[in-house]
Amino acid sequence: MLKFCLKRLAFLPFVMFGVTALLFSCLQFLSPEMRASLYIKDPRQLSQLEAVIEKHGLRKPVYIQYGLWLKQVARGELGYSETAKMPVAQAVKAFFPATFELTLIAFFPIMIVGVYFGVLSAVYKDKLIDHVSRFVAITGYSLPSFVLGLLLLMVFYGRLHWFPPGRYDLATDMLVHADSFRHWTGLLTLDCLLNGEGKAFLTVAKHMVLPATTLLYISVALLLRITRSTMLEELSKDYVRTARAKGLPEKVIIRKHALANALIPVVTLSSLMFIGLLGGVVITETVFDFPGIGRWGVQAAQQLDIPGVLGSTLLAAFLFVMANLVSDLLYAVVDPRIRVGN
Amino acid sequence: MIRLILVVALVLGAVPATAAKNPDAYVYLTISDADSLDPAYSYDTASHMLVLNIYEPLFQFDRTSTSELIPLLATAVPTRENGGISPDGRTYTITLRKGVKFHDGTPVTPEDVKWSIQRFILVDRAAGPSALLMEPLLGYPSTRGDDGKILSDVWVDVEKAVSVQGDKLILRLPRPYAPLLSILASWAPVLSKSWAAKNGDWDGSERTWEKHNNPSKQASPFFERAMGSGPFKLQRWDRKTKEIILERHDGYWRGPAKIKNVVIKGVNEFGTRKLMLQAGDADAIYADRPLLTQLQGIAGVQIIDDLPTVEMNPVVFFTHEINAAGNSFIGSGKLDGAGIPPDFFNDKDVRKAFAYSFDYKGFITDVMRGKGTQATGAIPKSLPGHNPKGRKHSLDPKLAEEHFRKALGGRLWEEGFKFTIAFNTGNLPRQTVCQILKRNIEKLNPKFKIDVRAVEWPTFLDNYKSSKLPIFVMGWNADYPDPHNFAFPFLHSKGDYPMTQKFKNPEFDRLVEEANSTTNAAKRKEVYAKLQDLAFDEAPQLYIIDGVRYRTQRDWVKGWYHNPIFPDSPYGGYFYPISKD
Repeated sequence: MLKFCLKRLAFLPFVMFGVTALLFSCLQFLSPEMRASLYIKDPRQLSQLEAVIEKHGLRKPVYIQYGLWLKQVARGELGYSETAKMPVAQAVKAFFPATFELTLIAFFPIMIVGVYFGVLSAVYKDKLIDHVSRFVAITGYSLPSFVLGLLLLMVFYGRLHWFPPGRYDLATDMLVHADSFRHWTGLLTLDCLLNGEGKAFLTVAKHMVLPATTLLYISVALLLRITRSTMLEELSKDYVRTARAKGLPEKVIIRKHALANALIPVVTLSSLMFIGLLGGVVITETVFDFPGIGRWGVQAAQQLDIPGVLGSTLLAAFLFVMANLVSDLLYAVVDPRIRVGN
Repeated sequence: MIRLILVVALVLGAVPATAAKNPDAYVYLTISDADSLDPAYSYDTASHMLVLNIYEPLFQFDRTSTSELIPLLATAVPTRENGGISPDGRTYTITLRKGVKFHDGTPVTPEDVKWSIQRFILVDRAAGPSALLMEPLLGYPSTRGDDGKILSDVWVDVEKAVSVQGDKLILRLPRPYAPLLSILASWAPVLSKSWAAKNGDWDGSERTWEKHNNPSKQASPFFERAMGSGPFKLQRWDRKTKEIILERHDGYWRGPAKIKNVVIKGVNEFGTRKLMLQAGDADAIYADRPLLTQLQGIAGVQIIDDLPTVEMNPVVFFTHEINAAGNSFIGSGKLDGAGIPPDFFNDKDVRKAFAYSFDYKGFITDVMRGKGTQATGAIPKSLPGHNPKGRKHSLDPKLAEEHFRKALGGRLWEEGFKFTIAFNTGNLPRQTVCQILKRNIEKLNPKFKIDVRAVEWPTFLDNYKSSKLPIFVMGWNADYPDPHNFAFPFLHSKGDYPMTQKFKNPEFDRLVEEANSTTNAAKRKEVYAKLQDLAFDEAPQLYIIDGVRYRTQRDWVKGWYHNPIFPDSPYGGYFYPISKD
């Protein structure tokens, strides 16, 4: 098992090298003037465009630019992100915990609701629960997240004043930035508890309700559909029929036999979904003014902030490799027929 | 389950929206985060607004006026009458105020003032604001030559231009420069020299200044920290949440501000900003004109409309010599009905025909909801050089046809043309300008074809800079309220736009320079009127609207006023007079 993990991790630098080399190559299709646009916000600055290009070395050959960047990376510097207005490493450190916290809070409900209702939907095929689940799945698929997000905001913040946008209110803002507040984990809910700030914990939790609900509703649809279809497939197989003929209780057949086999695609999907959420939930972060990594990544791409794009891409590549590793390990857990490393 | 949700919701609690929230804090939601807090580096509205709340310049515009100045760190506004300006207009003597303190309690000295102005010039970052003071004080716009190397005389010139004698600041100009005081009212505010030196910034010596020339943004200690003497001090800039918190400077020489904290936060989504305003979590928000209808009728929210601007936006620019190399915007590149030749807009009749094809009135009424008047030249009505009686184009298809028939030796009408107009994606007014031109011109002759293309800002910029766009639609906001800040970039051959348009008219250049070197207001006005009249005849650009803006705030906000030259006003602006009831 350890050998398998190490082997997978050894691939990581190659994946990252490939991704960044590809990105660098693609970016060279853009002229230096276009890449300099990141530093030009106003027409009055255009008279000094050449000076900007010169200063940032945008006319140097691609291999030199890439080489310089690799040299920086080797020194532990990922460059400076103009969109985040801070060094890339610092930006990742600043933005990632918020997204990670939101993902964690949304992910487990997504899993529970998706798998639970997916199974119910398959077991009670064409019954009311199946119709309701499928309706939820279809609306979850078809409803754009910004529409759902804004609707939730209008009702639960605009009208009821229950769940505000942002990450905290002004008083909590002052509290969490005070010298006495220690950021143990970067996860604000947890840090509030560890600092003994119960009121601040409630405030932060309150601010996470709507973005987490939006993510839940949008993401659960796919999981529910996949669980339902794989369960239906398993339930129609011979071994289920045999188990039933042998008189095994239906609950045991579903939980111990069919569900265990149906979980393999669900695990794959879940790990990809987890990465998708961690990579950034741009629309949700934008609508709820949630300072996560997705919003930064997209902004960096739109404004051709090359260090920013490379930094967020590196993180995505790292997460992808890690997620694949975790899902491979989980396969072994859910299906004993799979022997990792053999 | 439902009961549980309701219980949780009630525990988490609701705050009534009607009460004024955060009475000690004024919360302003905008769309853009600051770029840098260094006054010599920042050249964007969001940063500059903060700079002028944290630091203080020598003068300030008197409340809503864009012509009357009041002294801040100076004791009086220099004039010829009070001896502050020498008879030849080349020496300014400014007496400095005593008893002013920086946020750390140290006194503001004449040396701080001298050093701050010199630093503003010498930092001279690429595409930065230093040229605004370099031109009047040194007579040239950059500390570096075309090869990027520092010019040999810069230090000598700066020392000669800026000096102190006792409590007086002396500015010596190579030639008279009428807008100098206006520039000093918005730029080069005073920083603490001792704090800067302690934190690794320029120490004021000749030996070290070059090290601080054209720096990277984050190299400056003033990038994310501040030490000024303005009414607010920087408490925190959280770049992660795009939030800046200012705290009242209790030792401010005019007395502390009424509000304790100012929170400026970037919230990109308009719906979220609106809901936060509605709930009372925000006191003022940024919103464009097309969004006004969504803000009307919200209880407790006040709309203040018809606020003047010092801008010219949008403007249609014609490129006289289009760069044809690999240019997809000009079709075949020939006058054959499938393209246009590179010198298409060099023909005055073509430009005039386009000028008479635009529906100015319709644009103002329908797109800008009737807010604004048709511009009568490059200089907006809020500035002294504006000529309200200036000639202006109007939609006149007959005149347009007449000019088209005469254009390019009469061949244009027979051959027809096809080309593409581009605008930067997301800019609705500019998109509409392009569409109006397309519709009206294509109606005149079936052989006339115009495509309208939306391009992202980097692509737009790339093609703009290389003079590939046959027509481009852009705008200009004032750096300082002086007609020169419009006449030069619009009409002088070395100005930002004519350089790209490849447009040069020696008479325009002469008039722009003449107007700038005279301090006689009546004479200046006359010269600017002549310049704009000539521009009407030549039509190198089409000026469309002299617009207004509006502000949205909670009705408990008191004391706010709009000065169109103050950065980000009417949305952000100057926070010192603001209070909350």
